[in-house]
Amino acid sequence: MGVERLEQVRASFVADLEAAAGDADAVERVRIAYAGRKAGVLLELTAALRELPNEAKREYGRALNELKKLVESSLAEAKRATAVSGGAGSASAVDVTLPGRPLPQGAEHPVHLVRRRIEEIFLRMGYDVEDGPEIEDDWHNFEALNMPPDHPARDDQDTFYIGGRNLLRTHTSPVQARIMESRRPPIRIVVPGRVYRRDSDLRHSPMFHQLEGLVVDEGITVGHLKATLETFLHALFSDQVRVRLRPGYFPFTEPSAEVDISCIFCRMAGCGVCSGSGWIEILGSGMVDPRVFEAVGIDPERYTGFAFGLGLDRVAMLQYGIPDLRQLFAGDQRLTRQFE
Amino acid sequence: MKFDATWLASLLDGAPDGGLLADKLTACGFLVELREPGDGGEIWDVEVTTNRPDAMNHRGLAREAAVATGATLHPLEISLVETGPSTDSLATVAIDDPDVCNRFCARVVRGVRRTSSPEWMQRRLANCGVRPISAVVDVTNYVLLELGQPLHAYDLTKVRGRRLVARRANVGETLVTLDGETRTLDGSMAVIADAEHVVGLAGIMGGADSEIGDDTTDVLLEAATFDALTVRRAARTLGMHTEASHRFERGADPELPPIAIDLAAALIAELTGGEVCRGRIDLCPRPRQPIELVTTASRVSAFAGVEIGAERIVEIATGLELEPHRDGDTFKITVPSFRVDLEREADLVEEVVRHIGFDAIPAALPVLPTAPGRRNPNWELVDRARTAAIAAGLAEIVTWSFIDPASDATTADLPLCPGPPVELANPLAKTQSTMRRSLLPGLLAAVRDNLNQGERRIAIFEQGRVYWRGPEGPAEAERLAVGLAGPALARDGAVDFADLKGITERLRAGLHLPPVLWRRGGAPWLDEAQGAQLEIDGGRIVGCAGLVAGATASRWDLKTPVYVVELDLGVAASQVPLPAFAELPRFPAVTADMTVEHRVELSYAELEEAVRDLAGAQVESTALIARFAGKELPAGMVRTTLRLTYRADDRSLTQSEVNEQQNGLRASLAERLGVTFA
Repeated sequence: MGVERLEQVRASFVADLEAAAGDADAVERVRIAYAGRKAGVLLELTAALRELPNEAKREYGRALNELKKLVESSLAEAKRATAVSGGAGSASAVDVTLPGRPLPQGAEHPVHLVRRRIEEIFLRMGYDVEDGPEIEDDWHNFEALNMPPDHPARDDQDTFYIGGRNLLRTHTSPVQARIMESRRPPIRIVVPGRVYRRDSDLRHSPMFHQLEGLVVDEGITVGHLKATLETFLHALFSDQVRVRLRPGYFPFTEPSAEVDISCIFCRMAGCGVCSGSGWIEILGSGMVDPRVFEAVGIDPERYTGFAFGLGLDRVAMLQYGIPDLRQLFAGDQRLTRQFE
Repeated sequence: MKFDATWLASLLDGAPDGGLLADKLTACGFLVELREPGDGGEIWDVEVTTNRPDAMNHRGLAREAAVATGATLHPLEISLVETGPSTDSLATVAIDDPDVCNRFCARVVRGVRRTSSPEWMQRRLANCGVRPISAVVDVTNYVLLELGQPLHAYDLTKVRGRRLVARRANVGETLVTLDGETRTLDGSMAVIADAEHVVGLAGIMGGADSEIGDDTTDVLLEAATFDALTVRRAARTLGMHTEASHRFERGADPELPPIAIDLAAALIAELTGGEVCRGRIDLCPRPRQPIELVTTASRVSAFAGVEIGAERIVEIATGLELEPHRDGDTFKITVPSFRVDLEREADLVEEVVRHIGFDAIPAALPVLPTAPGRRNPNWELVDRARTAAIAAGLAEIVTWSFIDPASDATTADLPLCPGPPVELANPLAKTQSTMRRSLLPGLLAAVRDNLNQGERRIAIFEQGRVYWRGPEGPAEAERLAVGLAGPALARDGAVDFADLKGITERLRAGLHLPPVLWRRGGAPWLDEAQGAQLEIDGGRIVGCAGLVAGATASRWDLKTPVYVVELDLGVAASQVPLPAFAELPRFPAVTADMTVEHRVELSYAELEEAVRDLAGAQVESTALIARFAGKELPAGMVRTTLRLTYRADDRSLTQSEVNEQQNGLRASLAERLGVTFA
């Protein structure tokens, strides 16, 4: 026994493998015969190393290693070759038009998709995203926002009460008041969240989502409000969208502006979505009323600011063409799965 | 509010055509929502904001239109001829409580004939959505729509004592209102009474027994102003909302009653052939104090962000009848009595901006510190939870925060129940009257509805808040809940506990919640055999997971096994820790398997802990390969196959070294746990 034996094995391996080329089963038989873990020829050759006199071990060992490498790489190559051969017509050929094995795929609810998109726009503009309680007190939800008890504007926000001075917030604006109570200008925030009004029909749901924005600093103007809303609405919808501000009324802003965008469905030709007007009401806004500043301890002589709010559900309905607001809260996974 | 466009235009000289007029009104804050054909002209539906009661009538809106378009508002002309005896001799009026009634005018028109109003008046009323009734009633409605002053007409002969008093109601007094309802009153409400009884709810609705009838010949007219809050509270208490109350609640013009009553009397006389008696009764115990406001053109310009000329401000203020006095840059205006919304400088600035128009203000982004925006930690947390759930293949749902109290009550025994429930005082429905204390009831309802829609594989989650009554008042906390049913997400076969646990552990890791201990629990809401509560170090329960128990499932009509987990996000780290790099191993690992036969009571966690405790330092990890329980094994016994990974950090371990360690471990496990090896 010696290197000659290694040479013989090498020659017969090369011959056997050549004969087996292209046939996966035959290649596997060759593998078992030479590299099998239980009775492969290489095992026997490795065992033989121990029997050799020490002076022969070195040479034999090196040659054996080379042989092992050759066997390993040749087998791997032969195996690859059988995998790609066989031909398109063979039984093992894959029907490449069969569907792939699906990976689990989650999906985000459209209201949250919209929320995160809007948050991203404002985060890039340097706004913080803030948060507050959904069960509010009358002070933050109404009084601090210039809606004392018995104010007629409270009629527009039919409220769920939970006893005492507590209620379900009717808008995200109370977080404005909370932030201004605890932080000094400059303030630049948006506040998304669930809100509640005692109202239910095709266009109203007793629970929905708003996003509120607030900027307070020295020298904030109506022109700043206008530019901010235009920039935001262009980023959200498209640069082609026209933005219209028209005077409105909210107790916590003065002057107040209702903000419309040109109808994204009919491009102002008039359609069902815009009731033929060419405009879609998209958000409410205005300059922070000095009374709000007084209520939260900010000097209205020194600071001015603007605030705005929009319905996230309404944006989702507009952008994705969802007709019924209440569908969004029915827990139907088929709706969410459309937004994979 | 509906307006007759022709009527509106008739009050203006030089107004543009309908389309342009509507656009101009919209641009100054009176959104013309709808223009539709009416009788003899268009009907406009105009949104008049709640702070502008003065524009809830044709003349008031025309005043705005005049400023917006440069047209001229016609002055109001009243051709009143007084011919009858003096009004004082026929009726008396008193204000008993000036807090509730600050102005009270009365007139008498005698000898009216029952007739209908002329066609032009009926057309205007009908276009505004008011049904024509008779000349007298129609005139009161017409004056309301033209000037905004609510009026009431009494049959003078039915007014006992021919006397009207404005006072507070006595507790328990009743009145049958014009709509036929019997109203029971209290001391907070204001009424008009005759010498004997209440004849009208002040500022809301008149009474039935002094109503104008077919045989009425002498009409007593009332035009008064009532306190906004008193009217509002009374209307709300009685559940009433009328044209009159809508206006009084928002603030009435105290100078309007004498004008309106003269116009009404003149029209009634003209249309019915009656005669207006001499003199107007007019009580005004507390005359209005004029309000003056001051601002400067430079302040208005700085606020708006555009240079606004002093001349333009004068022009706007004049058109709005604010009587501006300009002194250089400074303006002083006097608030007219009809503008109850003008109280402060800011209100005056608004008037200017409104009529300058937002279109005229150049847009310029504010310059603010360049600090990057950041999400509040709570939003970071909930979005991390949502992102982890979406990455696990789940579809997000949003369900109601308020649920059925009976459904909520079932969650009271759950390990995560935070405290007593918060109930709504005025829910829309009983089924939406309690704030949820767990996301699971809403989730199960959604699973059921999805199954009923024919969905086979349910894999949903909701992230949202739960609410409860805490020691310091209402409290809320963020939760995450998952529902699984039908085929498993990532493998063949029906979903089982291990699928749920796999997802839960993934969510836990994604949330950076501390490691949790899975303990049997959650019954009876969850199945006794397949329910767990999740504890962190220190014993705090942060979740429960398992198969929904049979009784719970039937409550929600679930016929398929449903697996759920609910996690409390309160203990998650608010900041994501940075991953720390560990030196990569330099030598290969060797694995070795071990099949342990043991009693079923010995949990995997206990077995694994013993292995970790007894194995040498070279055991890098332990993994489960298989758990087997079959007939071949004695009753109560199971087999658990573990794969141990060994590694040394200074050399390659040999198989025989590892085998030796395995044998040693088997012996010490047998000794500690009494287990055998297959």
